[in-house]
Amino acid sequence: MTKKLAPILALLALALPGAGRAAPVKIGFINSITGPEAPIGENLTNGVELAVEDLKKKGIDVQVVRQDDTGKPQVAMGAMEQLATGDEVAAVVGPYTSATANAVAKLAQQYKVPQVVPAAAKEEITRQGYDWVFRLNAPAHVYAQSLIDAALAFGKPKSIAFIYESTDFGASVAAAGKDYAQKKGLTIAADEAYQKGAPDYRSTLTKIKAQSPDLVFMVSYVADAILLMRQSREVGLKPQAFLGGGAGFDTAQFESEKDISTHVLSVTQWTPEIGTAGSAEFAKRYQAKYGKKPTYHAACAYEATLIVGEVAAKAGGDRKKIREALAAGTWNGIMGDVRFESYEGFTNQNRLVMPVVQYQGGRSETVYPAKFAKKKPVYPFPGWK
Amino acid sequence: MPRRPSPSVAPRGSAALGLVAFLAVVAAFAVFPQFVRKPYVLHMGVVLFLAIVQGQAWNVIGGYAGQYSVGHAAYFGIGAYTTTMLLELNKIPPWWGIWAAIAAAVLVSIVIGSITFRLRGPYFVLASISVTEIIRLAALYFKGFTRGAEGFLLSEIPALKIGGAEIEFYTKRPFYFAALALAVITVGVNWLVEHSKLGYYFQAIREDQDAAHSLGINLAFYKNVALAISAAFTAWAGGFYAMFVKFIDPNTVFGLDVSVQFVLICIIGGIGTILGPVIGAMVLVPLSEVLRNPKGLVQLGLLSSDSRFVQFVEEHLSNAHMLVYGILVVIVILFAPDGVVGLIRSGVARLRRRASARERAQAATTT
Amino acid sequence: MNVFVQSVISGILVGGVYALIGIGLTIIFGVMRVINFAHGDLLMLGMYATWLVFTKLGIDPFVSIVITAPLLFLFGAFLQRVFINRVLNALPQNQILLTIGLGLVMSNSVMLAFTSDYRILTTSYSSSSFHVGGISVSQPLLYAFLITAAITAALYWFLMSTDTGQAIRATAQDRDAAQLMGINVRAMSVLAFGLGSALAATAGALISPTYYIFPQVGSTFTLKAFVIVVLGGMGSVVGATLGGLIIGVTESLAAVYIATGLKELVVFVLFLALLLFKPAGLLGKTRA
Repeated sequence: MTKKLAPILALLALALPGAGRAAPVKIGFINSITGPEAPIGENLTNGVELAVEDLKKKGIDVQVVRQDDTGKPQVAMGAMEQLATGDEVAAVVGPYTSATANAVAKLAQQYKVPQVVPAAAKEEITRQGYDWVFRLNAPAHVYAQSLIDAALAFGKPKSIAFIYESTDFGASVAAAGKDYAQKKGLTIAADEAYQKGAPDYRSTLTKIKAQSPDLVFMVSYVADAILLMRQSREVGLKPQAFLGGGAGFDTAQFESEKDISTHVLSVTQWTPEIGTAGSAEFAKRYQAKYGKKPTYHAACAYEATLIVGEVAAKAGGDRKKIREALAAGTWNGIMGDVRFESYEGFTNQNRLVMPVVQYQGGRSETVYPAKFAKKKPVYPFPGWK
Repeated sequence: MPRRPSPSVAPRGSAALGLVAFLAVVAAFAVFPQFVRKPYVLHMGVVLFLAIVQGQAWNVIGGYAGQYSVGHAAYFGIGAYTTTMLLELNKIPPWWGIWAAIAAAVLVSIVIGSITFRLRGPYFVLASISVTEIIRLAALYFKGFTRGAEGFLLSEIPALKIGGAEIEFYTKRPFYFAALALAVITVGVNWLVEHSKLGYYFQAIREDQDAAHSLGINLAFYKNVALAISAAFTAWAGGFYAMFVKFIDPNTVFGLDVSVQFVLICIIGGIGTILGPVIGAMVLVPLSEVLRNPKGLVQLGLLSSDSRFVQFVEEHLSNAHMLVYGILVVIVILFAPDGVVGLIRSGVARLRRRASARERAQAATTT
Repeated sequence: MNVFVQSVISGILVGGVYALIGIGLTIIFGVMRVINFAHGDLLMLGMYATWLVFTKLGIDPFVSIVITAPLLFLFGAFLQRVFINRVLNALPQNQILLTIGLGLVMSNSVMLAFTSDYRILTTSYSSSSFHVGGISVSQPLLYAFLITAAITAALYWFLMSTDTGQAIRATAQDRDAAQLMGINVRAMSVLAFGLGSALAATAGALISPTYYIFPQVGSTFTLKAFVIVVLGGMGSVVGATLGGLIIGVTESLAAVYIATGLKELVVFVLFLALLLFKPAGLLGKTRA
């Protein structure tokens, strides 16, 4: 029934005077509002909020339907079903984690709902040929390559140890890391996957220390990142550099733990100083409104919502049109040039360069690549105070 | 004196009535989807039937045989993983894969049974939990085999071709009917167990193991039979769950909370009875769904979309279903250890006593 | 060699805290024969109480034990009087289910009140360690270990030398005989559960500087506590102490020499073996 009415109504809407004002467009937003990744999820929520404000300034009225996935894929899938068939949103932004984003991508393709993934790393998300799924952030192999390239640029490491959580995110980035490390001729000194929720890593770190690796590559969310570094300090692990694979290593909380975060290298999708259009203002606004520095998660969510909101409004909430517009469009905002391309087995993947930061004196400073670098890196790791 | 669940003996004649009522209810459920627009309603139906199956399956070993296994997630998970891996890795459709899953679960149950059945009471409980934790941790660790914490995202289930007809497994409808059939079968199996010699042996073991042994009942054999039946249906439910939810990982199907849920469905409804798990499921499932997804009530048309109730639940009680389970279990154990069914029975018995006392009083005064 | 010694030391330090959890559980079982499945959740409550006191009042986690332990003692006593007491004569399975239910209520109430975000306590010594001959000894864990040792010694003295302590032991040995001798066994049960809860909460406070805090953290500890108690012998305080240390070291060595991901599995296999071949554990049931 709706199929016949819709074009008639659309015609009427166009014919009516004052029909230039767009009706509110419904966008779904799945996020880790509660659960272990909630502190990061908060950044995404804030980013989306700021985007909605900006869209309103442009005359675009966006109604965001939020769903909490608690970090669990099956909950995310239920949320996606609700959004797609119950709320009938035009498009979906999110979810945050690799595991949930991957699960939702499958449903997005099945229900034919355009989905823009803001910050999930798992490679496969955009390697399955799903033409309804778009990813704004750089995938896992870029995380790994950026970090290892940076280390190779700063010094001459020969061996690398991996310690990562055994989830989609951890496994994906670590796998990419191991692959690239071997390509670059590094020996893999250790490969330790840990279960979330059992944070006594002392024995594992001791084992790693015994191998004397030049680099220690860690992939974790917030809580584990902090505890891993604390216990690294405890056991006296002293590689040439600690490499943190984004996520937990890229949060205000980690930054504030100066005792343990100083001189850790982390890879990120965005920094406030990166120099892209509007970044500095965004950071200032975020700081003023939320009292803390925005992370890359906030920036990604902000840009994703802006893009989806504009496209959805122009397409009148039509899912197919939105998909086509996303596939064909280009944007330039705080994430720099955004274009969803298909290349080397990826579908609808934005090509983003990931800068590497180092925590110096309690602040994260961009140190690599040269075109983004603001400060010189401290390498090798000078040791624990 | 320790309180035991009351032996299940129904008065004669009510059996035929019970059967008619049962068939009527099943028919109602079968016809129901015709009147339903939103897929969410069918989704709820599937979840309800699945809970009934889980409760009924556990009832065989926990209710009738009195062995409280709090590790049944082992069989659920084996069912889920076997069916999933056969589908994903070997392209074997689930209606064949499920038989392999059931066989695997029964085999494992025999192994687990032979290890744990020599333990009594709380030690048996602890052992059953340990075994399942070992399985869960192994599933997490041996990533090459089970994909570890990443789990399996299921691909499309191929359509089932019977004769000329083709049944797709894309919408919720076929799942609804399959789940209904499974629930009916397990209720039927429970009825058979209760009214057979097997059932009497189980209950004898439950009431007093040593006395049963001295009467010549082979404890190990019958406990294993009970466990095998229970494991088979739990695995069936597990395989079904995997096909329905389309995502499994070790924590969702082998978790301790899953095992606890099976027990709760039975305890709250009424352990050791046929209707108990059904009632338990009917109490727990709607409660947990409302708390998990209050917007569902809006979808069902029961509440308007800006209802204050929905907002309150979303803000303050989301995902609080385990809290409600906990409260219910505490209340049931303290005040109604025979569950809802037990309450109904004692209520009926009390009414009968009052009625017959009144009759006697009247008879006495009319002479 | 260094790795081995480091592993063992770390294992002993963590094992001390495990021991405290085990002692609490074994006292409860010894006196009331109740298998308390909510024990880990009592620990979780201790952790949250410590976190609250730390963030709102700025009191160091180790110091705040003087606040959190009595608080949880009262809570445990309350649980026993209102809930557990009613099922002392019920089927053991029902007792287990009751405590499971109580545990669910506790962990989910906390989840609703504080969300399931992971919380981290940061103290000045959270990541510090002492270096002794190439071995690093974690500061917070060392303090925890020393406090545990002190508490265990005090507890042992209490049970052996005071009237109340001996009354508890008598109740644990033979409830009916104790009653006949004029001991108020009802009060002993309340005391035992309160004491067990306070010990669990203390263990929570002790590990809070080195762990993260979330509502479901209890369940891992409950299971570990059971392994420790069975290993040491249900009802034996010394046994639980030994059990805790053994489990701590086992886990630590398993992580290094087998695999990080398998360390918990090794503990469970050990547990099963115990249940099957030596359920009385190292030190049996009737000794305190």
